Amino acid sequence: MFLALLLCYGGFTALCLSMDRHHAELLGRKPSARRRQAMKLSGWLLLALSLWAAVSSTGWGLGLVEWFAVLMLSALLLVWLMTYRPRLALALAGLSLLASPVAVFAKG
Amino acid sequence: MKEGFRQAMAWLHTWAGLIFGWLLFAIFLTGTLAYFKDEISHWMQPEVPARSLSSEASLALAQHYLEQHAAGASRWLIDLPDAREPGLSVRWQQAPAKPGTRGQFTEKRLDPQTGAEVQGRDTRGGEFFYRFHFQLQMPYPWGRWLSTIAAMVMFVALISGIITHKKIFKDFFTFRPRKGQRSWLDGHNAVGVLVLPFHLMITYSSLVIFMSMVMPASILAAYNGDVEAFYDEVFPASNTPDMAGKPGQLAPLAPLLERASELWSGGRTGSLTVNNSGDANASVILARDGADRVVHDFGSAVTFNGVTGQLLSATPKQAMPMVIAGSFYGLHMGHFAGPVLRWLYFMCGLAGTAMIGTGLVIWLGKRQLKHAKSGVMPFELRLVEVLNIASLSGLMVAVAVFFWANRLLPVAMAGRADWEVNSFFIVWGLSVLHAVVRRGRAAWVEQLALTALLFCALPLLNALTTPYHLGVTLMQGDWAMAGFDLTCLGSGLFFAWTAWKMQRAGQAGIATRPRAKPMLLEQEAH
Amino acid sequence: MKGKITALPVSYRLAVTSRVLAAVLGGYLVAALASVSLTMWLPLARGEAVVTGMMTSFLVYLVAVLWCFACRSAWQAWFGLIVPSVVLAAVSGLAYWMGH
Repeated sequence: MFLALLLCYGGFTALCLSMDRHHAELLGRKPSARRRQAMKLSGWLLLALSLWAAVSSTGWGLGLVEWFAVLMLSALLLVWLMTYRPRLALALAGLSLLASPVAVFAKG
Repeated sequence: MKEGFRQAMAWLHTWAGLIFGWLLFAIFLTGTLAYFKDEISHWMQPEVPARSLSSEASLALAQHYLEQHAAGASRWLIDLPDAREPGLSVRWQQAPAKPGTRGQFTEKRLDPQTGAEVQGRDTRGGEFFYRFHFQLQMPYPWGRWLSTIAAMVMFVALISGIITHKKIFKDFFTFRPRKGQRSWLDGHNAVGVLVLPFHLMITYSSLVIFMSMVMPASILAAYNGDVEAFYDEVFPASNTPDMAGKPGQLAPLAPLLERASELWSGGRTGSLTVNNSGDANASVILARDGADRVVHDFGSAVTFNGVTGQLLSATPKQAMPMVIAGSFYGLHMGHFAGPVLRWLYFMCGLAGTAMIGTGLVIWLGKRQLKHAKSGVMPFELRLVEVLNIASLSGLMVAVAVFFWANRLLPVAMAGRADWEVNSFFIVWGLSVLHAVVRRGRAAWVEQLALTALLFCALPLLNALTTPYHLGVTLMQGDWAMAGFDLTCLGSGLFFAWTAWKMQRAGQAGIATRPRAKPMLLEQEAH
Repeated sequence: MKGKITALPVSYRLAVTSRVLAAVLGGYLVAALASVSLTMWLPLARGEAVVTGMMTSFLVYLVAVLWCFACRSAWQAWFGLIVPSVVLAAVSGLAYWMGH
């Protein structure tokens, strides 16, 4: 579940940054068209990877449930952090992306 | 209604949400608490030891006890211990005097080590919240009907809300604090949209759970009115042979656990039902423990003849519609959830509760603004205000008092379980009176502050009245007890914060309206 | 909501009441008939068809309720429910007659 959480959080942050308003809030300027596309693509990709992470370890039944749970939790966490600790929100996204490969290896 | 689709949906969302919001808030809050009902029950009966041996040993003890104390009963029910509920409990039912009515039920808790009766203090425990959230303390079957109707309205409110929320994708990550009504709406949208999968699942599944009761037309049509035939087909385990009228010796039950586990490819038994124990046609139904899979398998019980051990019916493979219905059931109950997932269920439930609560506050807030200039609230709005206060903060005071009653009422008192429940409802009723007597903001602040006080002091009360306080439970690793105390503390701090915010917002209202009429000032100053 | 509550005309209130009744009662009728139709016509075992019919009925109920408030008048609300009800009743009746 932990790997799925990391990937979900990273994915949602990317999708968030693909929006003009939030990109400006968090990074100070509006995104270029290329940046917007890159963020959108990587966001959806990370969410898809998180689904794989959730399902591969516990099977489709429990895996889907865990994925949705993790999806909702990471979305809530991101919105909460973005509002009150925007830099922490971004830092955590970066951290989770760095930690993901480690978590993959830890799963074995 | 002529103004367009979105606006029509907004109207529907607003009014359906208001009329049923108070009831739905109570359902959601108690349902959310019910995810931890075993832990709550453990806290409310701290005397009952939380230790268990093997299922076989527990079952043998249970059988011995029942043979001694309930030999003539028509039905025995044995709940085996599991990870969250380490107790062993037995129930038995006497045959009802009139067929079709429910027979007399007796329940006992047994010590899993000795098989002797355990006397914890008499309490409903967490079961109270579980039962309340779909039975609403109303006589059978009216409570279930009302809660299912509320679920349908919830479904309508969810979908109409989604339709109305024009910027559902654009505003997905949006929350703007400190902007008054705008912030409340952002919050309502956030807990609504970000947790939408859960809300849709929990609402639709609650409809599916009672669908046979509320939508029986297809059963009646397909089975020509023979509802029993439908249940026999879908729940084959309930098909047990009638009494033979000849006496028979019930064989030891413990070996049946192994046989059932084989049939379930390693699954565990959660509970057993023994019908007509002294009869030659005694049947033993083993029901699978719900904790090892998501999909609730309605047909997964295994039935043996109690005397000969002959297998009467085994697990048929589930057909797709039953798998889907079972999935709804299993997802709603969350039996399969381990500790982490269970906390996530709890948080999603709180989000749903908050969604309803914020909706009610917004409904009133928007209209209060319109009447702020006149200084007098029309009767309808005052009614909504009183109901808001009583069903939101009043309910939480009642929950706290329920736990306080558990610790304060004498352990040996007769009917103390009922009195714990009574104190819940008495206090809830008093909160209505309080909201009527005290003007708006004051009522909120006082009730929230009281809730905060009661929850924060609960661990202290626990320490004063039992030897199972935080110092002991943390050391021993009794996470259920310690978790309960800590959650109460955390909740208390949260309520204190909300009470403080409420009070400050009231004071800010006076400060930012220097040219307000004296009547308005008087209202704010309460 | 425009204006004070006391200023709303009686005709408006009647229309709203009519829509609510249509949604609650008429909607239930349509949903029940839909579940019966599905049950009779689905090529599944009896128990499975019944379970499928019941589970789907709530979606039908939802659509019926949304219709009652989205359509332009209270008359349209009722009309929009009566027509499907008649059709579904005919469909169910046909299945029943064919099955016997």
